[in-house]
Amino acid sequence: MDTFITLLLLVVSWALINNVLLHYFVGACPFLGVSKRVGTAFGMGMAVTFVMTIASMLSWIFTYFILRPHAPVPQWVWELSGGAGDAPFDLTVLSYLLYIFVIAASVQFVEMYVRKNFPSLYKAFGVFLPLITTNCAILFICLEISKRLQDPLKLMPIYEALTMAVAAGFGFAIAITLMAGIREELELCDVPKPLRGAGIALIVAGIMAMAFMGFAGVESGLERALSQFR
Amino acid sequence: MSSDLTPMERFIRGVIPENPVYRQLLGLCPILAVTNGVATAMTMAGATAFVLICSNLLISSIRGLLKPHLRILVFTLTIATFVTIVDKALAAYLYSMSKALGPYIPLIIVNCLIIARCEMCASKSSLPHAFMDGLGNAVGFALALLSISTVRELLGAGTWFGIQILPQSAWPGWGVLVLPPGAFLTLGILLAIVEWYSKRKKTSAPETSTSTEASAA
Amino acid sequence: METAVALLLAAVVVALLAVAGGWILGWANRKFAVEVDPKVTQINDALPAANCGGCGYVGCGEYAEAVARGDAAIDLCGPGGSSCIAAIAQIMGVDAGGALPYKAVVHCEADRSQRLGLTEYNGEQTCAAANLVGGVQGCTYGCLGLGDCQRACEYDAITIRNGVAVIDPIKCIGCKLCAAACPRNIISMVPFRQEKMLVIACSNKDFGSDVKNVCKIGCIGCKACTRMTSFITMDGSLPTIDYEHYQDGMDFDPVLAKCPMHRLILVGTPSPKDLADTEGESVPKVIEAQFETTVDKTEWRG
Repeated sequence: MDTFITLLLLVVSWALINNVLLHYFVGACPFLGVSKRVGTAFGMGMAVTFVMTIASMLSWIFTYFILRPHAPVPQWVWELSGGAGDAPFDLTVLSYLLYIFVIAASVQFVEMYVRKNFPSLYKAFGVFLPLITTNCAILFICLEISKRLQDPLKLMPIYEALTMAVAAGFGFAIAITLMAGIREELELCDVPKPLRGAGIALIVAGIMAMAFMGFAGVESGLERALSQFR
Repeated sequence: MSSDLTPMERFIRGVIPENPVYRQLLGLCPILAVTNGVATAMTMAGATAFVLICSNLLISSIRGLLKPHLRILVFTLTIATFVTIVDKALAAYLYSMSKALGPYIPLIIVNCLIIARCEMCASKSSLPHAFMDGLGNAVGFALALLSISTVRELLGAGTWFGIQILPQSAWPGWGVLVLPPGAFLTLGILLAIVEWYSKRKKTSAPETSTSTEASAA
Repeated sequence: METAVALLLAAVVVALLAVAGGWILGWANRKFAVEVDPKVTQINDALPAANCGGCGYVGCGEYAEAVARGDAAIDLCGPGGSSCIAAIAQIMGVDAGGALPYKAVVHCEADRSQRLGLTEYNGEQTCAAANLVGGVQGCTYGCLGLGDCQRACEYDAITIRNGVAVIDPIKCIGCKLCAAACPRNIISMVPFRQEKMLVIACSNKDFGSDVKNVCKIGCIGCKACTRMTSFITMDGSLPTIDYEHYQDGMDFDPVLAKCPMHRLILVGTPSPKDLADTEGESVPKVIEAQFETTVDKTEWRG
């Protein structure tokens, strides 16, 4: 029950309240570029969720075993080289390099796999996959997971990291699909020339961000409401 | 196309005519995030400038060795290295700033601007060209950050670089501007202004248009 | 000592990762290799990548695949133009066959002063909506002038002049989006075999007085044009031109003069004589009503 509540809070938090796009601004470039049609936007959102899940799983594994302070692998190498006690170094400095490599490699791998085995799926969102490599949102989630693996006493378990990644992906998908719906309607409106395209899209995003700000307090409220069940 | 520009021209191009934010719309994530204060924005500008110039120089030096299908990966890894350097340096020397900027320094790695400049310029030009191009774009980026953060901080909190400019009593501050929605709104409106200004300059040139738009209703 | 171990470990981890990553990706590249006809890549490179959909395929990639399979004709790309067609012909090893540029033409010339039976239409200001409503103007075949085609055109080739759509053949690239947008289907693609092509500027399929009651200049179906040329035939009471059998060198002045309603027109690049004729004329300024209100500028008047 405790786990379930934690997971529920994670989902609500990452999908709605701390929406990766509208609260943390990550993934803004594809947001403006791809959100013109609801179909493509949804495809992009699903592709991002998919890649986010894979990349975050891989980065959790790497961070847990190699990169975090007091990680097993450096400890083992330290003991192997004759050192005593806790290893006095950690490999956190390699984090960025590793995460970006993992993201790029996993995206490449997924693209090849999908292209071969699911050609219709590839036609639907395969073209977004190279774009997602440089999507800030994926790297951001990997960094957030790494943040939650820094304290050796409060390590985030893998299923929580998975929930977080999926929820964040869905949050991105929700934001981008809503945006696409609004932009489709905007096409029928008389937008002043200077604002057309990116200008009005950003202003709409700002208003959406304001709306999503209304979710603030939901998390702590839910936490309090569910605390009796913990 | 890359060989007919002098390094000086590249520099000037990057500042305003091909401003990375207002004209190319690159690197939006960090802009939206760090422009709630001028100090944080300028730190970000400095960090990005460092990474951009260093990456440009390194990629330009090894441009002969790049294989086409691996080049994006090489760019990304080079940029990641320099970002690690910047991140650790900031954490060491400007700790409070580093905390304020939070996860947005590592996000310089996936800043479309730097990868785009490496792809467009550094991988095809010699060192001086790459350096000036990087410098120009960095200055342009800094200008954009400065403009947006000035608007947000001044109108949102009445301060500029932490100094109280508009008195608290007279100007209560448009709080929304320092919050996430304000970022989107400010950028949208400033983009519109830049667009309007540049279109205005274009249409003031004599155009021999022979068509007239008849009212449809 | 610990720095040495740390550096060594870091280097080893990165090296191992690079090797492992490279090995896995290399294996995946071979295992998941998709057979792509090299022609598809070549054709795709020759296409202008506008993804306009004018060829009838979703995006240039789809068209390239269709051409490589042999399912599609090589001259469907409007924006590509003759250079693109020549390039595709070379790749596919076929004769380019002198493919022609297609340009859109509106088969209606009646402006608001020439239409009869106009009513005050206050509905949604789109041709599609006005077409559904009916009774907007006398002629149920002709141009409504509310600009659906103009909005569809991404190359600024269409203007609405006094209630009728006019397509600039110089700006038109033949992407066919306007033809698809017109709810009355009066825009067709004409192959421009010459700089100027003969076009029937009317779509009214009624006869005689039925036409005269709804339009001052509509085609009355007198069949005079069919007697002047071999390639004009009657489709009911409306003539059509068979561009396959078009006589290129023919002098069309007598044909133009023969039509009592002057519905046969030449569309195309203005000749030096045309330009000289209109030298002194200035285009009249259209006064646009400024209905400024404090309400927003939406079209909805419900």
